[in-house]
Amino acid sequence: MSAQDSNGRAPGRLRSLWRIVRGEDRRARKLRGLFELLGPYRGRVILMFVTLLVAVAASLAPPYLAGRAVDDGIRAGNPDALTVIVVVFVAAAILNWGASYAQTYLVNWVGQRALQDLRLRIFRHLQRLSIGFYSRNRAGVLISRMTNDVQALDQLVTDGVATLFASTLTLIGTAAILLFMDVELALITFLVFPLLAVGSVAFRIASAGAYRATREKIALVTAYLQETLAGVRVVRAFAQEPRHERRFAELNDEHRAVNMRTVHLNAAYFPAVELLSAVATAAILIYGGRQVLAGDGVTLGVLVAFVFYLQSFFDPIQQLSQLYTTYQAGMAALDKVFDLLDEEPDVVERPGARELPPVRGELRFEDVWFSYAGEPEPAGANGAGPDDETGWALRDIDLVVPPGQTVALVGSTGAGKSTLVKLVARFYDPTRGRMLVDGHDLREVTERSLRSQLGVVPQEGFLFSGTIGENIAFGRAGATPEDVEAAARAVGADEFILRLPEGYDSAVGERGGHLSAGQRQLVAFARAAIADPRVLILDEATSNVDVHTESRIEHGLRRLLAGRTAIVIAHRLSTIRGAGRIVVLDHGAIVEQGTHEELLDAGAAYAALYRDWADQAAA
Amino acid sequence: MKVFRRLLAFLAPYRGGVIVSFVLAALAMVTGVLIPFLIGRAIDAVRVADATGLWPFALAIVAAGVLRLGFSAARRLVAGRVSLGVEYDLRNMMYRHLQSLELAYFDSQQTGQLMSRATVDLQAVRFFLGYGLIFIAQALIAIAVSAAVMLAVNPGLAAVALAPMPFVLWAAARYGRLNRPASQEVQQRIAELTADAEENVSGVRVVKAFAQEARQLTRFTATVQRVFVQSMVSTRLRAYYNPLIGFLPNLSLGLILLVGGRQAVAGTITIGQFVAFYGYVLMLTAPIRTLGIALGMAQRAVASGTRVFEVLDREPRLSSRAGAPPLPAGEGRVELKRVTFAYESAEPVLRDVDLDVAAGSTIALVGGTGSGKTTLVTLLARLYDPTAGRVLIDGSDVRDVALDSLRGEIAFVSDDSFLFSATVRENIAYARPEATLDEVERAAGRAGIHDFFSGLSDGYDTLVGERGLTLSGGQRQRIAIARAILKQPRILILDDATSSVDASTEAEIKRALGEVMRGRTTFVIAHRLSTISLADEIVVLEAGRIAAQGSHDQLLERSELYREIAEKGLPDQVFLTRKELEAEAAGL
Repeated sequence: MSAQDSNGRAPGRLRSLWRIVRGEDRRARKLRGLFELLGPYRGRVILMFVTLLVAVAASLAPPYLAGRAVDDGIRAGNPDALTVIVVVFVAAAILNWGASYAQTYLVNWVGQRALQDLRLRIFRHLQRLSIGFYSRNRAGVLISRMTNDVQALDQLVTDGVATLFASTLTLIGTAAILLFMDVELALITFLVFPLLAVGSVAFRIASAGAYRATREKIALVTAYLQETLAGVRVVRAFAQEPRHERRFAELNDEHRAVNMRTVHLNAAYFPAVELLSAVATAAILIYGGRQVLAGDGVTLGVLVAFVFYLQSFFDPIQQLSQLYTTYQAGMAALDKVFDLLDEEPDVVERPGARELPPVRGELRFEDVWFSYAGEPEPAGANGAGPDDETGWALRDIDLVVPPGQTVALVGSTGAGKSTLVKLVARFYDPTRGRMLVDGHDLREVTERSLRSQLGVVPQEGFLFSGTIGENIAFGRAGATPEDVEAAARAVGADEFILRLPEGYDSAVGERGGHLSAGQRQLVAFARAAIADPRVLILDEATSNVDVHTESRIEHGLRRLLAGRTAIVIAHRLSTIRGAGRIVVLDHGAIVEQGTHEELLDAGAAYAALYRDWADQAAA
Repeated sequence: MKVFRRLLAFLAPYRGGVIVSFVLAALAMVTGVLIPFLIGRAIDAVRVADATGLWPFALAIVAAGVLRLGFSAARRLVAGRVSLGVEYDLRNMMYRHLQSLELAYFDSQQTGQLMSRATVDLQAVRFFLGYGLIFIAQALIAIAVSAAVMLAVNPGLAAVALAPMPFVLWAAARYGRLNRPASQEVQQRIAELTADAEENVSGVRVVKAFAQEARQLTRFTATVQRVFVQSMVSTRLRAYYNPLIGFLPNLSLGLILLVGGRQAVAGTITIGQFVAFYGYVLMLTAPIRTLGIALGMAQRAVASGTRVFEVLDREPRLSSRAGAPPLPAGEGRVELKRVTFAYESAEPVLRDVDLDVAAGSTIALVGGTGSGKTTLVTLLARLYDPTAGRVLIDGSDVRDVALDSLRGEIAFVSDDSFLFSATVRENIAYARPEATLDEVERAAGRAGIHDFFSGLSDGYDTLVGERGLTLSGGQRQRIAIARAILKQPRILILDDATSSVDASTEAEIKRALGEVMRGRTTFVIAHRLSTISLADEIVVLEAGRIAAQGSHDQLLERSELYREIAEKGLPDQVFLTRKELEAEAAGL
């Protein structure tokens, strides 16, 4: 049984080792990417290494000089030599100070600069990525790429790199000096190395696990706290406080128990390293002492210098072993950041795309099919033909919207309304068929020239932090305050804005927090109005507003739609009634179109929907 | 200082552990100081060519090392236990306190602010109490012990060697003081950066739609640059003070070489003593440095402690008297007598409301945003206390009965019901955790959602909430209904505020509501005619007053506001969406 086990395991281990090696390979590419960020600052990086070298060299001098003081000054009875040594000693200390200053400053300057560049690179990359990417990924995750993950890399780049080089150089430098002073004594000192190295690595591996477990537990504790704060109304309404307190205490206690493991590990490791240093010192004293007495070329000063070097010999090893944690955290962040940077946009501008000339606003869907998953599997793969009706978000859409007409899209959730408007804004490209504006295929024109002639009013009136005026001006670069006011007047948003204490300069809180849903809608209308687009895409809000705001929104909407080609995902009956044409979608296909009256007369899908509504209202 | 003393009080339950760890720290330090002394003696033995004298000292060094190992390991264990204990207590205390505060407190506080107090500030406090204090004690002990030994051996040389040490402390403390605001500013600017990033990700559709990428990039670049500039302010401080703190002990060592060396040449001290002094100073450097850091921790802990105490000192303003009787049994009659209510110091949301609702009847509350509908029902469960007037349930003032018994008799059903990150079963059984699976399933069945959950692979053990399965508004509402069914409340409160469910779901929900409403006093905050139609009586609220009251037909005649709402306000909110299955059945 056990033989079988070990037989089965060995190739598995090899495989996992191989995977690690291959993983390291991918990592190497990413690490290269990270260090390429330092490229523009090459001069400063080199200067940093020079200062680092100087600082390490200066920091290694004191024990050696102390030993020389014993031999050349005290034992030789020469106070003048002593003075010279002290002067050199203090000079070395000052040099260390100066070089450390320069090195710390430079490493942070370069590190921060590089990470700033990385943040901007991520930001630019995110701007390039298509809307499809944003619907696949959660916002919080993307934000943390620019914040937390870059922060973790900061640790790796600044602290990590500096510690790696400083500690390694200190270790090598110390070893070299020891060997230079006395080979035999040096070799004895090095005997403790393997012990320390094995111990440190074992400790790091064990504590990495313990720290990870602790982090996971504390994350649970924090999440629980967050959740009960967010749901405080429910907790109070159901009077369930005692239960939550018990559960929180449990989680808290689990965290404590896990954390205790790190305490145990630290309590075992750090004092043990101290003991090792004491044992090494004793060994050097015995062995070196005998050699001094035997007159084997070891002087008392050398012995003293050895003992002093031993006091700090172990520091670099401890620091290097700590680096493991930084490295792990940094690499995890590096993976995430570069995986994001490797994402390719789904919608790419064709090389040589033309500027879209000013359009009249005719929209034409030619035989448009669309699937979020791309072209479905061809026939034969699973017996389904290419025209299999599953997987298509839009099927065979043929639709011409003449300039200036308002089209209301109607249909149940998932009927394809939002998908259809996303194709107009070219957030996606049709999987089959073409999407044309004034006869120009959207794939042939630049994104900028298309979108500058397009206005979009999103469902809940997303606003940026800043003032109301800034939010309206967002619609058109270089808009003057007069333009802003004119736009607000045009959609009837000025009335409520002027009643605010600071008018157009009123700050809009987090996501428009201080404004009501209806007011946000009006600001979004004004933003679209200032862009004065030929084509307007509007996703009507579904949130409730009071009667007065409702009529203002209706009014603003009419003004906004007048004279433009518009596609509206309609939720309000007034909008639907007022539309030039109603398009009823179902399962991605157009099932019916016409005016309100025509469709009612036709007595088909729209009429059914309408009856349904009437039943509901009268119930 | 007062804050500082209050912080220390958190250690009271661990007095024993604290004392033991201090004693162990002192013992570890004493054995630690022995080592340079022994090294010095060993060097002297070499100097006087006493080879046999070397062994005892070398063995003593090892012995001292072993002792120190024992003491420090024990110290770390004891201190670690104390520190984790304090952390545990602090966190529990904070949580329990937050749970004792009334809902109005949370309205006036941002969740983020509270979170940061309960995490970041709490951490600063526990770091100081758990580790900082022991660092300080340890450093003081180390300084005292080695200074004492040095002074005893050679007062003159000791004075010279110790002279730069106060400056180390000064520099470390000064660095802490200067760097704290600087690094707080860095954090602040990173927070701005996060907000900026957040906005750009959430608003990406708007940015793209208006082709404003360039403008947003310029803005973000400026934000990133602000972080960089401030980081460099912080870096310059670090680059200056850290090496300075390292330089001063080196100065001490130089002085020992100069003065001690001359004394050794003159023969007033032995080389061994000279070496021992050098060793003492080396030993001192680390504790003094940590002392500086720990003093910085103390400052931070006081600042954070102030913020933590702001929360802990906030008395709960709404609680039932100790020994308040439970809500007496009754049928669920609700009376509001001249009730006025205002949030904090704002304008009243309810003014002089008088209302008498017979047990078992259904009341629909109708009115515009801000008319006071939601506020009115929250007063019933005593989530808030009225500013003036009384709320009576079955004749008892809600302020005179035990809160949990009161809230145990009232259930809220809202369509954006908050779900906890837990299983479906736990969410349904939220009010009665001891309910059996069978009971939960039956409640879900009556709420019309059993088929959905039993169809999932994990059934009722499916995780929902923020980290689980995302449910639609209609599904969440039916979970809330199942919750209410399981609770068997005397009074039911129903809010269909933002509902946008399709017609067939609507019908199912109505059926489920009928189940749970039977025989209970029910308040409906109605936004659509279909829910208004459930009511026996309709109350129209306007600007916090009851504007009209009566049946649908009566109100159509009597209240202009109601007419407006009924004719215009509500119907347009109904969405022209249908469940796909039904659409298929209809031949669409």
